[in-house]
Amino acid sequence: MFEIEFKESGEVAVSGRLDAAQAARAQEVLDGVDGRCVLDMSALEYISSAGLGVLLRTHKRLMGGEEGLELINVNKHIADIFRYSGFDKLFVIKTI
Amino acid sequence: MKKRYGRSFDNIQEIVSDTEWFFAEEHIDDSLRMKVDLSVEELFVNMVNYNTETDQDILIEMRCIESGIEVSLTDFDVERFDPTLAAEVDIDAPLSERTPGGLGLYLVLKMADSIHYQYKDRKSKITFTNSVQESD
Repeated sequence: MFEIEFKESGEVAVSGRLDAAQAARAQEVLDGVDGRCVLDMSALEYISSAGLGVLLRTHKRLMGGEEGLELINVNKHIADIFRYSGFDKLFVIKTI
Repeated sequence: MKKRYGRSFDNIQEIVSDTEWFFAEEHIDDSLRMKVDLSVEELFVNMVNYNTETDQDILIEMRCIESGIEVSLTDFDVERFDPTLAAEVDIDAPLSERTPGGLGLYLVLKMADSIHYQYKDRKSKITFTNSVQESD
């Protein structure tokens, strides 16, 4: 199960498993975001390369406007995936 | 566990559920779940996306090994494609040069303790292992 929603604070919250079956839905929502975007990953349990692709495409688009994607409340397992992928050098990441 | 799955991303959830069941049934350390789930998904997705000449189901096998698990994925009636020869990804490249392509197999190769490819009679089989290390 994967969910993505806008919070009242303006952050975007993702939860569940962001895999290849869910990547298109996540991309569709994030394509509607403009300016700086904070992605709350506190309830995200899992991410695969399909999900990483969503984050990378969104970050590159937002960085074109000198903004970007900030990833907050990242758990240890997903932080490891980010480190293996080199995403820790590309994104502002705040772990739990 | 030995089970075949249709060539659709919609079957990823069923694979995850079956993997969860196998881990519980065999008392495999749950700290390996993320690595195993990720490697299985990446290899399954790669077969679905690139082995388009077949419509046969993909066979996934799991068995216990000492302190861990061995997983095989077999694709039938396909051309040879050895994931262990996947190109390196430059994870130090700047954002402007990064693309999502290639990350999946790169992660599999990084996360597996061992990985082995076999191709015979148009059967493409990839086997990997993950075990709990003393440092884990």
